Amino acid sequence: MSAVVPAATLACTGLTKRFGDRLAVDGVGFEIAAGETYGLLGPNGAGKTTSISMICGLLARDGGEVVVHGRPIDPGATAAKAAIGYVPQDLAIYPDLTARENLIFFGQLYGLGGQALTARVAELLEVIGLTDRARDRTEQFSGGMKRRLNIAIGLLHRPRLLVLDEPTVGVDPQSRNAILSSVQELGREGMAILYTTHYMEEAERLCDRVGIIDEGRIRAEGTRRELVDLVGQRDRIRLIASGDLATAATTARAQPGVHEATAGDDSLDLLATNGRVLLPGLLAALSGNGLAIRSVEVIEPDLEAVFLHLTGKALRD
Amino acid sequence: MRTAFVIARRILRQRIRDRSAIIFAVLTPLGLALAFSILIPNEFSSFHTRFVVVDRDGGHVAAILVDDVLGSLAEAGVADVDPIATETEAVEEVRTGRAAAAIVIPGDFTAAVEGGMPAEVRILGGEARLSLEIATSAVQRFAEAVGTIQLMVATSVASGSKPDAALVGAAQAAAGTPGPISVATSALERRQADLATFYGAAMAIMFVFFATQYGALALVADRQVGTMSRYLAAPIRAWSILAGASIAGFVLGLVAMSVLAVATTVLQGADWGPPALLAPLILAAVVAAMGISTLVSSVARTPQQAGGLNAIVALSLSALGGVFIPVSQAPDGLAVAAQVTPHYWFLRGIDTLASDSATLLDLGPSIGILLAIGALTGAVGLVRARSALIAR
Repeated sequence: MSAVVPAATLACTGLTKRFGDRLAVDGVGFEIAAGETYGLLGPNGAGKTTSISMICGLLARDGGEVVVHGRPIDPGATAAKAAIGYVPQDLAIYPDLTARENLIFFGQLYGLGGQALTARVAELLEVIGLTDRARDRTEQFSGGMKRRLNIAIGLLHRPRLLVLDEPTVGVDPQSRNAILSSVQELGREGMAILYTTHYMEEAERLCDRVGIIDEGRIRAEGTRRELVDLVGQRDRIRLIASGDLATAATTARAQPGVHEATAGDDSLDLLATNGRVLLPGLLAALSGNGLAIRSVEVIEPDLEAVFLHLTGKALRD
Repeated sequence: MRTAFVIARRILRQRIRDRSAIIFAVLTPLGLALAFSILIPNEFSSFHTRFVVVDRDGGHVAAILVDDVLGSLAEAGVADVDPIATETEAVEEVRTGRAAAAIVIPGDFTAAVEGGMPAEVRILGGEARLSLEIATSAVQRFAEAVGTIQLMVATSVASGSKPDAALVGAAQAAAGTPGPISVATSALERRQADLATFYGAAMAIMFVFFATQYGALALVADRQVGTMSRYLAAPIRAWSILAGASIAGFVLGLVAMSVLAVATTVLQGADWGPPALLAPLILAAVVAAMGISTLVSSVARTPQQAGGLNAIVALSLSALGGVFIPVSQAPDGLAVAAQVTPHYWFLRGIDTLASDSATLLDLGPSIGILLAIGALTGAVGLVRARSALIAR
């Protein structure tokens, strides 16, 4: 688990939600600091959306507490909700209004108005690349454009906590990349971000810490490295090289952190702990043996493997 | 309250943009009101017909029937009464629709009446049932009076004295009393709106449901398209959302009814009564429609379902409330049941306004019951809608 997070923008503990006999969320808790991006990674039906619905005050909880920027959140806590920017999983925009009208309307719901709103709308249209289409009805937009607008609405009031519920579902690769870059930028600007996804790649790219959730419970939490270490899996290092590969394998095995080395026709495959850390020393040792190295690839164990290890099933099951 | 107006403005913008409110709440009822008033003659004020008379007798009793009895219809503006030479020509007039009925007086009519003998006046009618009934009623009334005269004359002759000429003259004058005219006069005295006003008002109260429903429908649509989640996550209260939808429904209903009142007045000469009295009646009707629309929409899961339910309720209440068939012509049971509908009370209010001496006090029952219907159904609907907004 990670170290204590100072000055948490979001602190939730023991979140519990029951739908009839089914326990949808069972004691979920985590904290997010300003400038930190926290990922909730889990398959469909794991309890991600139910958890963030309780965090945003959309759903009453059966147990637990949520505090955002020092103020408790529940469905009736209207003032405290102003600190949250919510981006729902399903598109939540009016198709018969223009992009600008959508932004202005939702901005007004957050108490914005006048020149400040006009300027903020123009700024966000620029950020999401829709300035030229501002006066077009959103029903004419592509899926990616709608997604970008969907996110922009959640940013209108400059929230301290941005909650994104699987914002890239059904998005083309180009728009997806743009969305992920925007989220990274927001994190760098100091916004606390809660990001739910069932895409392992997104969690790895965006999140400072990840909570792996399944069947309503957080199974593990931490940085990517911490989670991988938790599982105990090792990095794979592949070197494409020419020379005495058998000798090179013996040399490699002698290096600290290298657990296994196998020589192929033109490659050397290693299993190691913290492969990227020991790589410089390893390469120096192998080069000293006259090995001509043409390329190096380090393959670290991913969160998919961690999830499989923790739950016994794949993320997309 | 600012948030409520923001939401109301958004709903109104969408409805004006997609023209649905204009089509369903204004153009459709206006078109139907125009069509009804054109297709159905206004029996209360604008009815007019034409009779032709074949007088083969030419005597003074026939002259009383033609000049006094049928002539009174012409004087009242109900019918043109034109003499025509032959029965063949009369039949042709009726067959071609140029005349609604032909009255044929036989050649020995005066002699037969004065001699106490049977005499037959024939009425040849076309497809205009109302016109035929008026002609028949006028002649029948004359025949009944003539029977009285004949009895008096017969009695006088049997006693061996000569008939008193003054008495016979007075009786004959009484026989010429314009009965049908008095019927028409009594209809106006029953404080009923004319046909143009009735159908304008009837269409307005029926279709105002299609206008007010857009407020409640917006909430259902927000749930379906996902925008409701943004409302719930925003720093606003549930009542602001409900108030916004209600304001939008109220404005649409008010505009729809007002446009119909003005349009039917200008285009059809409808008389909705003094604006100062009409305004509170319309406001109360819109409140009633809003309440029912809110209640109906609160049980729906999708906008399509809500729209369908609202249409069913609007049409059912319209049929029950006398929009299509006046309540006065309905069986007793239905007439009583009609009183649970806002349509009945609105149309009754419009009838009340047909009287020149109507006051706000006279409208009290209509306005009071409309407001009560709106408050009761609206309260239940809003409670149900609010429970759907509050996260559980």
